[in-house]
Amino acid sequence: MIRVDSDSQLVTRAQGGDQDAFDELVRRHSDHVFRLALSILGQGFAAEAEDVAQQVFLKVHHALASFRGDAEFGSWIYRITFNQAMNVKSRARYRMPHVDDSVLSNVTTAQLGPHSLVETAQRDQFLAECIQMLPEVYQSALRLYYWMDASVADVATLLDVPENTAKSYLHRARQLLDGMLKQRGYSYV
Amino acid sequence: MSDRMSDMDPRNAEIDRLLRRSMAAPVPALSPDFHQVLSRELRRRSQPPNSFGPILLASYSVVSAAISVVVMRGQGLGWMAIALTTLAPLSTLELARRLRRRAWGMAGK
Repeated sequence: MIRVDSDSQLVTRAQGGDQDAFDELVRRHSDHVFRLALSILGQGFAAEAEDVAQQVFLKVHHALASFRGDAEFGSWIYRITFNQAMNVKSRARYRMPHVDDSVLSNVTTAQLGPHSLVETAQRDQFLAECIQMLPEVYQSALRLYYWMDASVADVATLLDVPENTAKSYLHRARQLLDGMLKQRGYSYV
Repeated sequence: MSDRMSDMDPRNAEIDRLLRRSMAAPVPALSPDFHQVLSRELRRRSQPPNSFGPILLASYSVVSAAISVVVMRGQGLGWMAIALTTLAPLSTLELARRLRRRAWGMAGK
């Protein structure tokens, strides 16, 4: 029978110098860390999100001895990720994301005339701009939920908030976006 | 999908559909060599530091400080001024090193 260690057991072993235990922690959390970083940085910043993930694990490794287990290891590492990604975002803000021509295939062209197509593209562009005006946690929640198809529970775990708070982030973000779109006179059809 | 649409009012449901449509795009994944690169970097960082560099640097500092003291004394400077000009740069260096360490440590908290 295979023994599956909990995070805290792995942390204790890693604190004792067991590199395999740390590798297992990395394997367990790397995708979540990467996705959280990507949700903060936005589409087109995958390379930066990967750098963030790299930096987070280096920091965690360095600071593991000082981790006393007051909080869950996951909460701790996601908080570090959030802060690290925010630092990177403040530096990357004025740079356009990498966008390749695959985005063109994402435009829904079925039964749309040229006029509607332009209007849809304009509205999506405006929506993307509006999203960037929202508070960071709302942006992150939206990207995790709508882009990465995370559940509300996963959004809550990654943002280290109760599930109801994650729900209210999403609700409030939708309300704000609705208001901005209405103000600009965009319809949802 | 059950937690998605069921408790939404119509306006919320509309914007929900719009967001789902407009944010639909492939989600990138971590590159396959992520773990390898990380392991390599961790190994590199956890190696004991090369002690030759610091010893050389310390010797250089001591010798240059001694020469400076002799030269400055020869120029007729007082001990107070000599101590100040010699120790000020060294303490600035030490302070910078400590601040860097603290910043690195705090980033992990």
